[in-house]
Amino acid sequence: MNIPRNITIRLLQAVFILLCSQSLFAQKVVRYDLYVKDTLVNYADKEKRAIAVNGQIPMPTLTFTEGDTAEIVVHNQLKESTSLHWHGVFLPNKEDGVPWLTQKPIKAGTTYTYRFPIIQHGTHWYHSHSGLQEQIGMYGSFIMKKKDDDKTFRKGIDDLPTVPIILSEWTNLNPDNINRMLHNANDWSAIKKNATQSYAEAIREGHFKTKLTNEWKRMLAMDVSDVYYDKILINGNHTTDLKTVDGKTLKAGDKVRLRVSNGGASSYFWLRYAGGKITVVANDGNDVEPVEVDRLIIAVSETYDIVVIIPDDGVAYEFLATTEDRTQSASYFVGNGIKQLISPLPKLKYFEGMKMMNDMMKMDGNLDDMGMKMSLNQMDMNVVMYPEITGDSNQKEDHSQHNMNMDNDPNRYNANALGEIKTLNYTMLQSPYNTTLPKDAPVRELKFTLTGNMNRYVWSMDNKILSEVDKIPVKKGEILRITIHNNSMMRHPMHLHGFDFRVINGKGENSPLKNVLDIMPMETDTIEFLANEEGDWFFHCHILYHMMGGMNRVFAVDDYQNPYLPNKKQAYNKLQRESNMPHFMAQNDFATNGNDGDAMVQNARWSLGTEWRLGYNDMHGYEVETHLGRYIGKTQWLMPFIGFDWRYRKMGMDEHETNLFGQKNEKDTRRAFSLGFMYTLPMLVNFQAEVYHDGIVRLSLMREDIPISKRLRGGFMVNTDMEYMADLKYIINKNIGIRTHYDSDMGFGVGLALNY
Amino acid sequence: MKSISKILMVITVLLSAVNSFAQIKNAKTETVKIYGNCEMCKTTIEKAGNLKNVATVEWNKDTKMATLKYDDKKTNQDEILKRIALAGYDSEKFLAPDDVYAKLSDCCQYKRELKPVAKTKDAGMDMKNEHANHNQSDMAQKNTTETQNVPQLKTVFENYFSVKDALVKTDAGISSAKAAELVKAIKAVEMTKLSTKEHNVWMEVMKDLTANAEKIATTKDVAKQRETFALLSKNMYELTKVSKQEAPVYYLHCPMYNNGKGANWLSKEEVVKNPYYGSKMLTCGSVQETIK
Repeated sequence: MNIPRNITIRLLQAVFILLCSQSLFAQKVVRYDLYVKDTLVNYADKEKRAIAVNGQIPMPTLTFTEGDTAEIVVHNQLKESTSLHWHGVFLPNKEDGVPWLTQKPIKAGTTYTYRFPIIQHGTHWYHSHSGLQEQIGMYGSFIMKKKDDDKTFRKGIDDLPTVPIILSEWTNLNPDNINRMLHNANDWSAIKKNATQSYAEAIREGHFKTKLTNEWKRMLAMDVSDVYYDKILINGNHTTDLKTVDGKTLKAGDKVRLRVSNGGASSYFWLRYAGGKITVVANDGNDVEPVEVDRLIIAVSETYDIVVIIPDDGVAYEFLATTEDRTQSASYFVGNGIKQLISPLPKLKYFEGMKMMNDMMKMDGNLDDMGMKMSLNQMDMNVVMYPEITGDSNQKEDHSQHNMNMDNDPNRYNANALGEIKTLNYTMLQSPYNTTLPKDAPVRELKFTLTGNMNRYVWSMDNKILSEVDKIPVKKGEILRITIHNNSMMRHPMHLHGFDFRVINGKGENSPLKNVLDIMPMETDTIEFLANEEGDWFFHCHILYHMMGGMNRVFAVDDYQNPYLPNKKQAYNKLQRESNMPHFMAQNDFATNGNDGDAMVQNARWSLGTEWRLGYNDMHGYEVETHLGRYIGKTQWLMPFIGFDWRYRKMGMDEHETNLFGQKNEKDTRRAFSLGFMYTLPMLVNFQAEVYHDGIVRLSLMREDIPISKRLRGGFMVNTDMEYMADLKYIINKNIGIRTHYDSDMGFGVGLALNY
Repeated sequence: MKSISKILMVITVLLSAVNSFAQIKNAKTETVKIYGNCEMCKTTIEKAGNLKNVATVEWNKDTKMATLKYDDKKTNQDEILKRIALAGYDSEKFLAPDDVYAKLSDCCQYKRELKPVAKTKDAGMDMKNEHANHNQSDMAQKNTTETQNVPQLKTVFENYFSVKDALVKTDAGISSAKAAELVKAIKAVEMTKLSTKEHNVWMEVMKDLTANAEKIATTKDVAKQRETFALLSKNMYELTKVSKQEAPVYYLHCPMYNNGKGANWLSKEEVVKNPYYGSKMLTCGSVQETIK
């Protein structure tokens, strides 16, 4: 009798306490169910695989109010694992959504719940952090509204009609294939973008010397972005009409707040508006003092809240997002009526950019800022390529009597001093609030140099990729002050998980808060944040293909025990492995005189490659060379290797081969081990030296893929065995070319060159 | 012999069949109005609209009507009209970007009936909207700052600054277009509404001012425009000194222009952006005087 009664009382007690605590926090749980599923889409005239969530691309916009609790249930209906990362959101580390760092991957066919309190407000977004899923549809807006009684509520801004906007790109290629092509320096993207920057094009534009210098300095043609996209999307559409917001028809004088997130995998976008100026009111989810500009560039994964005005009735004004390489754009028409267009951005002057790069690149592969202290996007070296600021390339000097030289102008890269167009840069961002960090907290200084290798598409920090470094231990309560210098040829949007950092931009106490910082080549920027939330936080370049290449670090704040990852060591190993996956390439020329080809498996440092020349008869012979080597140094110009050669060739009586050094080889069949190295000389010529176990020495010079014209490539090889070869290849598409060559062993041949 | 002729016939038939296939499939024909003036407009419009095997455009300069013929599986009317608008020509669906319109040659400067601001002009309103009509960045301001009681000379100054800005960009087309607007603005000034001081100077400079502005408007040679602009700036300077300014105006000097003889100009901003050299020597010059 006694016992059950006791239980009832206890139960009642428990219920009472539970109810109490519920009402105490007055928490509203906002739940979303997300069904992740494979789908087929047709964005650019071809049916292709994509991933849709709840049947849509982009993923649904998730909306919360500060103080809510988010409960997001992921139903993984894919055939592969997935994850979701809440970009820019403060949360407990285990909810951060990085597979093998903060959780295990969500396995195919399983359900997973993310649950965390919403303790901030602003425009953010979310995306898959697994593989390349972000490229094919897994991105969406994540909006956290201010409470109505928030002290920071800004009348005239926070009460405007608001639209979430997520930018993205679509490619008909499989992203795994893109990743591979980037690593193999396949220039199909450049051909599609009309940005091959070949010798023929250089000569036509009077830039032959520029191109020559460029190759002398061992640079491949470089572009502001590396991937060709077929379509640009705003909220999943190429063109959108915004006629009403929340059921209210837009009319003259209305202001609209666009919460723009860049969910693109690797594209920066220029944002411009046909109806006049753009007012920036927040960045990366944090309020900034309103600033009026003509245009701004949004880095990969950044967010900007902007306000635009509708000047007139009867007109819809174009809001245009154009990729940085200016090949593609998407339109959003704000208002009702006839569509007022904005003129597209003119084509980039690539050779001006090449010339600028030549000036900056030292012979040893380091960049030289020539005494300009560059930071915070104020000086944009790319302005030399922008016709709208520095004039058309065909405009010649009309006053030659002056010897004053633009080259010494301190403002020559400052877009806002050069042109009438006002472009946003980071020094123009100012927080309306005091953002200083506690004075008494210990400060730890860290320095990173962003490094990279365009030719092999290896991107790293301090010339180390994630798989070569441990986590960086950080004490909870420490302030990390990080200085980042970009010594690579591309810009990098560096993103920190879990925290906002202050950008030291001259605004003192009101320094803006961000979680992504775009750092252009040669820039040096300083950020700082208080590490007050324990856990393993990812810090990485947000260009998807750079991140997958290992341009990442992990800050381990205290020794966080993550319930999802009992074996942290093993998990970290998995993470490291995933960021340095090997990639495979192969090519073969089916020619009239034989087969020429090679295949390679490579990762950031190692290369296992085999090369073959197979004739159609014994006289021509069969030859296979295999090398296993490791690329050394940041520039990766040097690769020592060990090799094995096999060849068979039927030689006539008394016939033998003699090399330049008088060494003879008389056997029909030859099997030999070798030691050697390969070194990239100026003009991108590969010098290879190897010595075989039988003492025979071989030196060779080789150059592949000389860009003669847009689609024509040349190459040559000559070695001390008195062998030589020259070839020409016309590229038909990304996998097929027509090749003609002359080979000292096999003679003249024409064939179909296939590559994978 | 017979078989050969037969073969030849088959080949001919095949070839002609191929020929007819090469034309637009799923053809759809529509007629739409596109605004424009002359033969030159016709060439630009049709070139912008045409897309091999996908779309053809034929425009009649008298009726302003265009016949669009296109493959409706591959494209649509909007895409064609958008391309044409981006080449500078308005239609019922799209308005051309203002800077592209401004760069059309003189004979192609058709009347933009569809632009909303143009309506106020037709109604015989004052000229002050004229510049806003062609300058999108000013559009936003128009609604907020401009009021009815604008001093008479304001439009003249605004147009002068637009000419200056175009020269900074070394853009002869826009300079000329803006100068044409300046001429209009000068003509629209009602002298009776000027103050006595303004009136006196106005009488002195008006003739030169008009002549110089017209000169800039009629040439597409940026070097000649700049020569004339130096003279124009002198007239404007006289005017600035007697006219009331809402915001300070800066009088700047470039010592190098005209073989070291130098030249001046007026600007609304203190930052030096040289209209005589543009990007070649953008920051050459210094502020001589601040007129308030």
